[in-house]
Amino acid sequence: MSGDLQAVWLTALLAATTTLLLVPLASPLAWWLARSTSPSRSVIEAVVAMPLVLPPTVLGFYLLVMLNPESAVGSLWIELTGDSLTFSFSGLVIASIIYSLPFMVQPLQAAFRAVPESVLEAAATLGAPPRDRWLNVVLPMAKRGYLTGCVLTFAHTVGEFGVVLMMGGNIPGETRVLSIAIYEHVETLNYDAAHVLALGLLGFSFLSLWLVYRYAGHRFEVVRG
Amino acid sequence: MSRQLIIKGSLRRARFTLDLDLDVDLSKPLGILGATGAGKTTLLRVIAGLERDFSGRVEFCGEVWHDGDHFDRVPTHQRGLGVVFQDGRLLPGRTVESNLAFAQQRARNVNAAVSYEALTEALDLNHLLSEPAEVLSGGERQRVALARALLARPRLLLLDEPLAANDADHRQQLIGYLAEWLPAEGIPLVYVSHAAHELAQLTRQLIVLERGSVTAQGETHVLLEAQSEAIDSVARPVAAVVMSTDVEHSTATLQLDDDVAEAVLPGERVLLQRELTEDSGLGPALQPQSDENEG
Repeated sequence: MSGDLQAVWLTALLAATTTLLLVPLASPLAWWLARSTSPSRSVIEAVVAMPLVLPPTVLGFYLLVMLNPESAVGSLWIELTGDSLTFSFSGLVIASIIYSLPFMVQPLQAAFRAVPESVLEAAATLGAPPRDRWLNVVLPMAKRGYLTGCVLTFAHTVGEFGVVLMMGGNIPGETRVLSIAIYEHVETLNYDAAHVLALGLLGFSFLSLWLVYRYAGHRFEVVRG
Repeated sequence: MSRQLIIKGSLRRARFTLDLDLDVDLSKPLGILGATGAGKTTLLRVIAGLERDFSGRVEFCGEVWHDGDHFDRVPTHQRGLGVVFQDGRLLPGRTVESNLAFAQQRARNVNAAVSYEALTEALDLNHLLSEPAEVLSGGERQRVALARALLARPRLLLLDEPLAANDADHRQQLIGYLAEWLPAEGIPLVYVSHAAHELAQLTRQLIVLERGSVTAQGETHVLLEAQSEAIDSVARPVAAVVMSTDVEHSTATLQLDDDVAEAVLPGERVLLQRELTEDSGLGPALQPQSDENEG
């Protein structure tokens, strides 16, 4: 596999892994943020949203400090898996999860907030226990939030640069994702190769956003029977 | 089998306190009467386990549902209820059929005198089955909610103004069905309404709530008659002209001297006088003109 194709594959794998892991991780957090009246809610909301405003290099730097092999988390990880969290694919996944957290949490939070308490009460009076209410009332009503969250998380992870560079460097097949590959092509004045990858990312970004706007603005099919 | 409903305790809110000490046998359907804000809906919510801050004890058929301690109570979904809220509260994003199926699939007891087909037919729902819940009118929503509550095959039916959004024809028809079905199904009933004639036809015992407390309890017809006499004795007869009536929305526009007022009319003419008297202070002088214009 050529270096660029390998970068495309690695990027897709990183984005898919991040998205799949964020769905179960972000759901309870988004639910709590949507329903809680705790005073600590705004603090947690601010922490979750920080990657939106923080320079990626700052986040990458702190992740590097927290997850390097000398740190408590990094050394524990090495003990458990034998691998380092820095300059490795697993480290990139952790960094991406943190970096993309608001892109999954915020659409879910908005979707959960739109589920009226009164509807959940009605479902409870009909004999639906909490898990049943979650699966058969909340989830169908939050479909658009999940679609938006997944598309935005995937697209955002595909476009990651600063955090990846700080945490993963540029190791082909391990941490060299598309944005790093483009950067490398530009550095070596290989503009043709940079163009191909950049144009691909441009088209992908447009398609992702179109998908969100196209379907987030439309009603989903009504549940029948 | 005991059908005792015991509620003792209170629920404190910023501008409202529900204070209850009730012990009623629900082998006779129970009506709850009271003005807006008296606590009727809150009382139903306490029975349903939807008021987490209620401090006290709720017991039904000897089973303790709530005992002051939140962790000790039977959660709402295990109480075997059928609840119709004022606004219907259908599950959004689902068709009428899917809403009914939701209740049927979770029904505790599948044996019932009234079948799905009989319910949808009688409640005039067959032409609505494939419609999404969002497009229904208020009355249609309430009828679906009523069918849904009955399909849940409840141990206890809690109805909160379940017919209020229906037109007079549907209301009268539904009262007839409920009066026939509820005894056939043998489901204990708690029925909240402003409408005296609904309570008179569907319940046999009555509780009157005022500002969160029970002010009267007894046989429905006795209490309703007493209420009506009390109203008649204090009412100030005034002359009013019925300018127009809107049968669809059960309202009438009235002229009293220089003022024009709108009044809500109940479903039955015989009780019109009482309802208007109670709500607007209009006296018996209204009735002849009202009858003439409505006829």
